Amino acid sequence: MSEKIVVTSIGIISALGQGKNAHVSAFRTQQSGLRHPKHLKSKYADEFVLGEVRLSNDELSELVGLPTGDNGYTRTTLLALAAVQDIVNDAGLAILQSEPTAFINANTVGGMCTVENMYMEFIAPTAPEEYLKYIDTLDCAESTQRITEHFGLNAFSATVSTACSSSANAFIFGARLIKHGIVKRAICGGCDSLSRFTLNGFHSLKNVDKTPSKPFDQNRLGLNLGEGAGYVLLETESSAKERGAHIIAEFSGYYNSNDAYHPTAPSPDGAGAYRTMQKAMEMAGIQPEDISYINAHGTATQSNDSAEGKAIENLFGSNAPYFSSTKPFVGHTLAAAGSLEAIFSMYAMEEQMIIPNLNFETRMEELNISPVASLIENVALKHVLSNSFGFGGNNVSLVFSKP
Amino acid sequence: MKQVLYIKSASAISPQHTFYPEQFLEPLVNSDDNKLRVIDIDYSKYISPVAIRRMSRLLKMGISSGMQSLKDAGISQPDGIITGTSHGSKKDMEQFVQDLIVLKEEALNPTYFIQSTYNSVNGWLAMQSKSTGYNQTYVHRGASFELALFDAWLMLQDAKRPEYYLVGGFDELTDNYFVIKSKIDYWKKENIDSLSLLEHSDTPGTIAGEGAAFFVATNDEKDALCAVPSIKMLQDPDAATIRKTLAELLEENGIAMADIDVLLCGMNGDASTQDIYTPITESIDTKTTIATFKQLCGEYETTTSFALWLACQLITRQEIPEAIVHKKGSTNSIKYILLCNHSVFRNVSLTLVKAVK
Repeated sequence: MSEKIVVTSIGIISALGQGKNAHVSAFRTQQSGLRHPKHLKSKYADEFVLGEVRLSNDELSELVGLPTGDNGYTRTTLLALAAVQDIVNDAGLAILQSEPTAFINANTVGGMCTVENMYMEFIAPTAPEEYLKYIDTLDCAESTQRITEHFGLNAFSATVSTACSSSANAFIFGARLIKHGIVKRAICGGCDSLSRFTLNGFHSLKNVDKTPSKPFDQNRLGLNLGEGAGYVLLETESSAKERGAHIIAEFSGYYNSNDAYHPTAPSPDGAGAYRTMQKAMEMAGIQPEDISYINAHGTATQSNDSAEGKAIENLFGSNAPYFSSTKPFVGHTLAAAGSLEAIFSMYAMEEQMIIPNLNFETRMEELNISPVASLIENVALKHVLSNSFGFGGNNVSLVFSKP
Repeated sequence: MKQVLYIKSASAISPQHTFYPEQFLEPLVNSDDNKLRVIDIDYSKYISPVAIRRMSRLLKMGISSGMQSLKDAGISQPDGIITGTSHGSKKDMEQFVQDLIVLKEEALNPTYFIQSTYNSVNGWLAMQSKSTGYNQTYVHRGASFELALFDAWLMLQDAKRPEYYLVGGFDELTDNYFVIKSKIDYWKKENIDSLSLLEHSDTPGTIAGEGAAFFVATNDEKDALCAVPSIKMLQDPDAATIRKTLAELLEENGIAMADIDVLLCGMNGDASTQDIYTPITESIDTKTTIATFKQLCGEYETTTSFALWLACQLITRQEIPEAIVHKKGSTNSIKYILLCNHSVFRNVSLTLVKAVK
């Protein structure tokens, strides 16, 4: 069998802050990062809570050593740079440049956060000169290309976009590239920044809760959007040992499949989610009872939580493992959600904690199971499962195991 | 041993007559406004009347060419659906962003938002073919389609039985996009006859195009149209890197430059990108025919899908239409085609296409 793929480094930024400590301490104190946005210029800013990263674009630019002001970088790219920078600092740029390292990025709306403020000028006969450097930034690959240029990572790069499961797919592609010897290591994950485009998109679908969301609650009203970036460094176990790298987790199983049911809604019985979780566990060579924690997709929309809850119940029985949605901490960060939640699952395993599903009060009437509503400490977690389900029926489950 | 990827079917909707096999690029279609748009086909044969009403052109052309490709391959449910697109349903995204500005974030139509999601063609193809298998979308500018094809190849390395992947590339041209990119000099300043694009290679800029092309990729050699033994992707390579990569590709396949019957090039008439092709054209044998294709489809970031469709045609038909010949070589039969392409972001790819019999 092919060699084990392991996670040796993590870079993360979200509404809770940057790096592991900011996240773990917020989980311990059960402090949500949701608030009324300060940077997003939307008419709904005072009405909706969102998972906005505290830093301004100038502060993010300073953090990654770029000039402030109109520097041609969108917020999406700046978030990604901040997260990837932590991996580069941790693993060392020399090793990432001298041995083939892929950069597999995921993104749903590129630099829409910037473009939506300039679009009418873009399509007018002339646009202000200072806008022109942002014209190409709408592309999802913009952030990918900026990062590979910034850090000199030239071996292999790709950008994935499968809606809310995008970065989970980036993890899978990176692992497959390593298994087939295309590259030695891969930095995988995703980024998205808040935009009026996505906020209004989900709002037009009546999927947004103005107040902090209540995943898996009978009275849930929808999601809160968020922003962030999360990346991991993947390599083989032997490559990690060779260079004496600390192994955070084994990336032991994954599966991607499609609902083939509806453009935006999951199959109501959760058949797609069920099959995806089952196949990911099969790949990891484990049984349902081996899973200690599920970081659910748990968007707090009517359809997702019903389908995902049923899938968990059908697969694991009424004695389901601990599960929670961590979206009430950071919001639904779209392309970044899969990677952020995979990272949270690994933090949970390292810290032996179950991250609570904030705001849960009432069990859903169609379910016999409930998420973990408050923090649990000192739990030995051996295998954790992280779910990401997206528009277009795109389902992904990832399994991480204690090294 | 690496598993070779075979192409079992190829279907293209493009600015030329490409969709119906009996009309192979005839009659040739040209434009004189630096825009080449697809010739619409009867999309209602592929999409239900309820669904089609709200669909953008990109969704229609993507779904239709995808479904036709499955039909041609005799595959009802592929093992996976893998696509590449630089912009997805651009028109829907433009509509939603414009509405949100003009209507001041009120009363927006969610259909545009949903359809602008880059994997919406994938989702529809999965629904229509009831394919619950692997489903992936790459949005990596000029390497989007190449990545989709590469991913299919990677899937086939693990296959333990015959597997079939629907692989496609698609992008659309919109009026807004043309205006936007003209601000950063994507297009030629002078209006040209599209078919004479390459004769204008002394001025900057190119012409805009669009299209959708789908293929069934498999490890099953039976009834294959051709094989794709190598795909190489480079980002902003210098001449030395292109030469080195070409040498690797030839070596991997145990062939020499003289074995290449047709060099199919993505030169787009832009004076500033001609240099990309020099390391390849300078090493070409006199027997090799140099052919070009962007005078037929225009420039967009997934043109390699159109070019691969064209390569499949050259191999199965064993003919090289005059309209693509740039420099005629002496070869009679077509066994190897080297497809070399670039995008405005200097994504460069080298793809080897080989006859199977």
